[in-house]
Amino acid sequence: MVSPLLQALIDNGLFDRIPASFSTFFFDQIKDWQLLFPAEQVYFERLFTLVDKLPPEEFKDLFSTLRQAEVKMGINEKTWPRRSFSLEQVDFLNRNPHYSEWRAAVAQIFSRLDPVMNAEIQRKGRPRLSVVLSPSELPVGPDRLWTRLKGRRYTLESPLDPALHLAPLLASDKPAPYDRWLIQAGNELPAAPGIVSLSYDELQPYRQKLTDEVQQIVEKEQLRGPRELGNRLKRMKVAPPSKDPLLAEFVRAVLLAGNGTLLINNTFVEWASVQAIRRARPSLTISSFGIRNKMKPFSSLLIYSDPEQTNPIPTQIDTLGTYVDLELLYLYVWQEYEKYAEYQRNTVHIFGAAGMDEILVIAPPDFALPAKLNPEKLVAAGRDWLQW
Amino acid sequence: MLSKRQFLQAAGLSVASRIATHGAEPAESARKVIIVTFGGGVRYSETFSGDGLRNIPHLAALKGQGRFYRDCRNLGVLSHYNSTASILTGQWQRVDDFGFQPPASPTIFEAFRQQRKPNPMDAWAICTNKSFSSIGAATSAGANVVLPKQLLLDAVKDIVKRGGGMGVADRENVRRRLETILEEGYEGVGWTVFKGGKQLDQKVRETLTHALVEYINGPEAPASGDELTFFITREVMREFAPRVILVNFWDMDVAHWGSYSLYLQAVTRTDRLTGMLWDEIQSNPSYKDKTSVMILPELGRDGDANAANGFLNHRSGDASCRNMWMLALGAGVGRGEIERPVAHIDIAATAAQMLGVKFDCTGRPLTEIV
Repeated sequence: MVSPLLQALIDNGLFDRIPASFSTFFFDQIKDWQLLFPAEQVYFERLFTLVDKLPPEEFKDLFSTLRQAEVKMGINEKTWPRRSFSLEQVDFLNRNPHYSEWRAAVAQIFSRLDPVMNAEIQRKGRPRLSVVLSPSELPVGPDRLWTRLKGRRYTLESPLDPALHLAPLLASDKPAPYDRWLIQAGNELPAAPGIVSLSYDELQPYRQKLTDEVQQIVEKEQLRGPRELGNRLKRMKVAPPSKDPLLAEFVRAVLLAGNGTLLINNTFVEWASVQAIRRARPSLTISSFGIRNKMKPFSSLLIYSDPEQTNPIPTQIDTLGTYVDLELLYLYVWQEYEKYAEYQRNTVHIFGAAGMDEILVIAPPDFALPAKLNPEKLVAAGRDWLQW
Repeated sequence: MLSKRQFLQAAGLSVASRIATHGAEPAESARKVIIVTFGGGVRYSETFSGDGLRNIPHLAALKGQGRFYRDCRNLGVLSHYNSTASILTGQWQRVDDFGFQPPASPTIFEAFRQQRKPNPMDAWAICTNKSFSSIGAATSAGANVVLPKQLLLDAVKDIVKRGGGMGVADRENVRRRLETILEEGYEGVGWTVFKGGKQLDQKVRETLTHALVEYINGPEAPASGDELTFFITREVMREFAPRVILVNFWDMDVAHWGSYSLYLQAVTRTDRLTGMLWDEIQSNPSYKDKTSVMILPELGRDGDANAANGFLNHRSGDASCRNMWMLALGAGVGRGEIERPVAHIDIAATAAQMLGVKFDCTGRPLTEIV
């Protein structure tokens, strides 16, 4: 059941007036309304209210290119049921010779809607903070960290201890629902009440159950590729990792995204961070990476198996490989923030490492740090910025 | 004033005229053709672009010896099967993404076998991608298809299931299991070997077994699918000297796991294996001076600034995904760099001319190297 506002728009025929592919995609997005974060619910309400209020000529003009693309692709009322977005439809779009035109038409629609939506968000903007932490075991000094990012480097008078210095920041004041996130490869930082806390290590039993289930499905059922597997996995019965159904579904979706999140701790941290930013738009996120293990010969080919059990060779950590991985993942996390109006021009990004006395800061000009800086002052500045 | 038809022809847009121009009977040829794909997808930025050159020292060194097409585009569906099937058929393929359907139009292997009536051992597709079992032919007899990684996976799975001992840590154990699978039913691995039937021909089995032994005992303790693909390719070349081969490397698709370093290692390994393949061509009298090699990425991967999580995926359709390169080496290829955009579907048309085979397709032969 969607919100009363959206239901009224649906009842008034909005989703029948907009082009079929656009309509079905978004109908699919909103159908599990209870599994959307508040930020997503607000977004969909604003988006479709805006579309609904467009004058008829503007409405027609907005969707005209997409309608033309749909005609070329063979999308019509018969081939495209309006209330379900199936795997067949995804395949139909991807394999259609006019897929590029369709994508361009969708992008064009948002290039016209986004500025209006963003202007309103920016008017109501509030300060936000992102902290991205590297593990202490990396085999390089601070001068070789965060090389793909442009920011200002600061020396701390004493090394950063995330558990000591950052935990109080997470716990301060009273958090709004889904507004503070702690996403870790390990579990060094303690979770405070009211914040969303995800740890790759602590999810190990759940990951193992998922892995076992996936392995069984892959071996016993003739599935036609990852998309069909993804659909099958949605019907999988594994006890959720959280009592909150929204977070349980979030974690499940992150781990089954097919992007190595089940296999590699840092991929999990990156993808969970990206998804949290995209979907929940939190005010404070701490993303804490770890060291990944080396792949074991032969047994690493079996991606849905536990290498500890399938290969007697002792597990080794890969510090250099982790360093190379993270240099790019820092960039991807930072870029994700920059995509959304909520974060543009009002977000302080702090990149630090456990046990290291240097940080990189990317921040708006009005974020000030003292010349003599220690971790306590850094955290105090972050708290001031957030106005907590 | 130009008619519509004249306009289309002048603009190079008429498909019919494109087919007609290279549909003429080509001359007999003794050339051999090897197509090497960097399957799984690799970006320009990790290969022939600035810092990327450090990942491909062998190809970088070979570039000056051949013809380098700077702008080779994949304008089709950005899935592995459709991309490689487009390379082999000269038509943009839009079939099932995961190999559950054969290509929708004939492959270069089929045209070659129909027109030149060669020995069945003359056309091979040796593919790390385990979903490529039907890549060798659309409707008629095409290439022998072997899937080294699937063989390896089956062997490792068996060993793990049986448990005990050192398991997969004992390389000899892995070799024994690989050989047993070949003995017991190679078709279950998804392979097609035309001469073999249910039982592999003795010579084919000996050839493949020899490749497995070389792989297991290799000085660098190879363990990846691409390395096994190389050893099998080399052995097939030595034993059967086929005239047309697809070598599909695929380790670099590990990028989906989100580890940039593992992806770079795979790119470097593919570069090394491609270099070793070139060395084999130079030292094997059946191939030296009569073989044209075309090396190209099957597809790229999303750019770092892309919304789809950068190098992990290949679905955005941005330039980083579609715009790649092609390096041609060997007989009749010449040297130099070509700026003009070419396309993946031009590879099959070019291979056809090199092999002296008439082949109707949308792609156009690359005139500099045929």
